[in-house]
Amino acid sequence: MRRDWLSRGLLWTALALYTVYTAGPFVWVANMSLRTTPEIMAAPYAVATTPHWWKFVEAWTTSNYGTYLWNSVAICVSAVVIVTIIGAMAAHALARYRFPGRRLVGAAIFSTIIFPPQITIIALFQIMVEYDLYDTRLGLMLVYVAIQLPLTVYLLEAFFARIPEALYEAAKIDGYGGIEVFWKITLPVGFPAIATTIILNFIHLWNDFLYAVVLISTDDKRTLPLGIQKFMGDQMEDIGMIATGMMIAVIPVVVFYAFFSERLIQGMTAGAVK
Amino acid sequence: MYALKYFSESTGRTVVEVGHRDEGARARRIEIAAFLLPALLLFAAFTAYPVLRTFWNSLFEIRPNGNESFVGFENFREILAADPVFRRAVWNTLIWSTIEPFIDVGLGLLLALALYTNVPFARFFRVAWFTPVLISTVVVAIIWSWLYNYDWGAVNLALRGVGLDGVTRAWLGDPATALPALILADSWKWVGFNMVVCLAALHSLPSEVMEAAELDNCDWWAKLRFVVVPMLQATLLNLLVLAFISRMKVFDLVWVTTRGGPLWATETVSTYTFKRAFEWRSFDLGYPSAIAVIWFLVVIGAVLGLTFLLRQRDRLEF
Repeated sequence: MRRDWLSRGLLWTALALYTVYTAGPFVWVANMSLRTTPEIMAAPYAVATTPHWWKFVEAWTTSNYGTYLWNSVAICVSAVVIVTIIGAMAAHALARYRFPGRRLVGAAIFSTIIFPPQITIIALFQIMVEYDLYDTRLGLMLVYVAIQLPLTVYLLEAFFARIPEALYEAAKIDGYGGIEVFWKITLPVGFPAIATTIILNFIHLWNDFLYAVVLISTDDKRTLPLGIQKFMGDQMEDIGMIATGMMIAVIPVVVFYAFFSERLIQGMTAGAVK
Repeated sequence: MYALKYFSESTGRTVVEVGHRDEGARARRIEIAAFLLPALLLFAAFTAYPVLRTFWNSLFEIRPNGNESFVGFENFREILAADPVFRRAVWNTLIWSTIEPFIDVGLGLLLALALYTNVPFARFFRVAWFTPVLISTVVVAIIWSWLYNYDWGAVNLALRGVGLDGVTRAWLGDPATALPALILADSWKWVGFNMVVCLAALHSLPSEVMEAAELDNCDWWAKLRFVVVPMLQATLLNLLVLAFISRMKVFDLVWVTTRGGPLWATETVSTYTFKRAFEWRSFDLGYPSAIAVIWFLVVIGAVLGLTFLLRQRDRLEF
């Protein structure tokens, strides 16, 4: 009995310590985002007794965070919309039609999921320069669609293939054409999987740094991760303001997670459990 | 238009079928093409073509303004025989991608077990442990470079607090500690992912297994060793391979914190490729393309090798 009590105590201590380790840094930055740099330098770990909410307003007005946020939103949302539509169409074709070369197309697309990004990124840079897409939001958006496409098709194809055949036969009897079948059966029935890929793609792209740093160069086209990194270089001393910028980048993701946590976790585990 | 006459066994009659099979098949082909075309075009333009072009580039020296000269396998020879930085980068990347998967998956499994046994506040714990996964690596990198700060970073403050002043240092500025420090920061982000996957796998196990282990009065170590790990073997191996592949590509965290320094202590293949392509004023895209090709072959080889090995093991066991 005493041993049981002891092991419970140990377990609780371990869990509490681990929670401090994962959540602590996050709480610390959230706290710093409401304090000024002189305050932080005087006492890095003190609680923001008088929270300076105006720092978020200032981040908006005097620095370029407003532009970075808008770029991130515009590029990520349009990339996610396009990759969802194109990916769902391709997944539908692979899951519901039998045609020669089907396995080859699937294998070619899916195998690129494991490619290291270097194998495309230098050539992508050249291509973007050649077609005047370098340092444009459109160019980055197109690349984002392309890099998320394989995983999207992979996840959706697996789900669409499990939709009962009977639904499609019923549709055929009702005289549905190919497009209608996609629109009225695959999309609504496959919606849970589509929602999962939307969330997953959004978070991946929102946090992307590598492609943005290679394909974007001017300040007014930077996305949030690039903007924060630039801020870090520019104002090495202004820790308080960097923390505010970090919170601007983190809050949308956390809100997203709060609303869709189950779906998100499903999506992240779907690929790995199999 | 076609007409077909055949004997139907199910009805026992001869049937004459007249129809538009050709047109039907054609319509079907158009449908398939329409569904696949956008994805295939995008795939061809932004994935397949760049991959092939990188292979092609690796045989050239490519200077700005279209000055290309064919050098054959000279880039490869130089990388493999005479590039100490590349060697260092490979070494660092291999250390990173062999050590971190075990930390991530091991810790993830233990945390998942804690949640599985229904500790109170499991929901809160899960959120707190998972959130780092969602945070942009740039943000993670900045947080950790602050935590490792010499003067006011939490790591050194804690060490001073317990009287270990001698151990304090600028963790990312010291070549001896920079790489382990970054591995720790990276695992801070990724343990939560492994935890949710392990948790999902645990929940998909038949509950009798765990109950039987409970009845047999196994201690937790025996339960872990003889019940959980063997039952989750497939998932755990998958996670290890997945973590290994992602670590072979590691870039953001290094780039924002140390840029591969100090003294190449944290240089990875990705950061080195990036430097050679876009940072060093060597103005040659051919050489980094050759690095990319070599690393591509290594990653693909490692994935194929690992999957093959794991399959062999499966076969031996059954």
